[in-house]
Amino acid sequence: MFTRILVANRGEIAVRILRTCRVMGIETVAVYSDADAGALHVTLADQAVRIGGAAPAESYLSQKAILDAARATGAQAIHPGYGFLSENDAFAAACAKAGLTFIGPSPDAMAKLGSKTAARRIAEAAGVPVVPGAVPADQSDAALIAAATKVGFPVLLKPSEGGGGIGMKEVHAAADLPGAIAQARREAEAAFGDGTLYVERLVTKPRHVEFQILGDSHGTVVHLFERECSIQRRHQKVLEETPSTAVTPALRARMGAAAVALARAAGYANAGTVEFLVEGRGDSASFYFLEMNARLQVEHPITEVVTGVDLVRAQIEVAAGGPVPWTQEQLTQRGHAIEVRVCAEDPRQGFLPQAGVLALYREPAMPGVRVDAGVTEGSEVSVHYDSLLAKLVAWGETREAARLRAHEALAHYPILGIRTNVPLLMRLLTHDRFVAGDLDTHFLDAEAASLVPPDSPPTADARAVAALVRRGGSGIAAPAAETSWDPWTSLGGRRV
Amino acid sequence: MDAVSEPAATITPLGSGRFLVSGDSRQRLAYATQVAGVTWVFLDGEVTVIGRTPSSHARATAADELASLAAPMPATVIAIAVQPGQKVAAGDVLIRLEAMKMELPVRSPRDATVVAVKCREGQLVQPGVPLLELDEA
Repeated sequence: MFTRILVANRGEIAVRILRTCRVMGIETVAVYSDADAGALHVTLADQAVRIGGAAPAESYLSQKAILDAARATGAQAIHPGYGFLSENDAFAAACAKAGLTFIGPSPDAMAKLGSKTAARRIAEAAGVPVVPGAVPADQSDAALIAAATKVGFPVLLKPSEGGGGIGMKEVHAAADLPGAIAQARREAEAAFGDGTLYVERLVTKPRHVEFQILGDSHGTVVHLFERECSIQRRHQKVLEETPSTAVTPALRARMGAAAVALARAAGYANAGTVEFLVEGRGDSASFYFLEMNARLQVEHPITEVVTGVDLVRAQIEVAAGGPVPWTQEQLTQRGHAIEVRVCAEDPRQGFLPQAGVLALYREPAMPGVRVDAGVTEGSEVSVHYDSLLAKLVAWGETREAARLRAHEALAHYPILGIRTNVPLLMRLLTHDRFVAGDLDTHFLDAEAASLVPPDSPPTADARAVAALVRRGGSGIAAPAAETSWDPWTSLGGRRV
Repeated sequence: MDAVSEPAATITPLGSGRFLVSGDSRQRLAYATQVAGVTWVFLDGEVTVIGRTPSSHARATAADELASLAAPMPATVIAIAVQPGQKVAAGDVLIRLEAMKMELPVRSPRDATVVAVKCREGQLVQPGVPLLELDEA
């Protein structure tokens, strides 16, 4: 087992990894950029090394700076967290060359899964369903129509060279195909200089359901069930839960077996996540492989709380050559967990990220609630990194119990000094469709109007509290001078 | 202990930014603090900000549709899409900014000609400072 680990990350995930290392009796090394000199993760490690400037390229993405820090501190292993260098197979290879253990999959498995087309081939070879589709070698209308008929309607016509949704056409019936083909071809030629079209089955009302897997270097792979991640905005997950309201025991068994088969086929060791699109719900639902994430996921805590395991501990044990610590049969799901991502962003300003000091920040503490945070009161949220402040995870014996706990915890999670998405998360947790478990990946866009908090005037109670603070009745900040542009100073006149 | 009577409730400071809000039938815990003349109140999961916030001029402007020619928050210039003398149409992307891993395009508020570009790629820019100049409407 390692005696010293360097955590090559920042924020909540660095904090979370450091905590497990400490519990395991492993010495810890944090790294930090100039923008993070006093950050929470730096204060929790046994040693901390400055690795460069605030820009990620100069620090958390600098392979040389991180390897130098590992050598200088005598660390034997590097945990990359998520993001930054976590899915960089060149970095994993550089660690190996430097005699350091990269806590994650092998560079080879990472490279194979990093390419979407290669990952799709591995999935097909392993018998894992993928979204049916084809690029007909013959691009005539007749051949495209034949391909679409074989794939099955509705279909999506996509430029094979494209991206970003440009030139994509949904076609629901064969009669509409010729017109759609002509238009998609024109748009593809205009945008990408290549009119080659890809025909793919259109998955309607798709859910994003992923499976956690863990493999070891001895060839054992287990799965730790699913996470439902359909609540997304621009491919950024906002809320995750497990179990999924769409997944029945029979579907879970099929999907779990597919996830394990894929990981085995890729020669995968350590923690990873296999993402699927799910169409329909229940035993008869279809699922299709999307991609594999070769790292620990942001939302891993919901899996931890329903299975009772520590995934970071397991990652470290298998990286050190140990076996997967549990058999598939030992793993069970108990109760339900919901994670909400607390972010420094203002939903009322188009989710504009917010930077500034957390003048007041108090985490809720109550039964069934876990908060993984990268900040504390007084922390400065800088413009250099992503807006995730913390993840609040609520567990309950039932989905309803977990939902109510998450809502109650957010109502007691004051974060002041910058805007956050907490009011939006509370509306989400009480939304009729969410309560009913009626989810798909379009949920957040479709329901945005009822989720974004209205710009309503302050309530009388909030004004009263503010008035008291402004005359120095607060116990926290030094009272600032009243300013003439404040519309509420005119509310003065009450005795304190 | 200080208390102030309001039509709606009695507010009792509890220290450390905590306040008990007592009404006729129920009481609630509020949190509040003051930063640079702006008062922030947290009550029942809702945040009330009283006084001007640095980005209040950008209110009701979607992050991807910035009408202003200034950054809405400290951001890095990742691309400048125009040159002085260039004619632009309303809605054209003039400059791409990035902050907190989000891309924030700065779009032209109207049809105009670019007079001057006042930033460079890679520069960290502050809110409220115009990034370029357009000719008079």
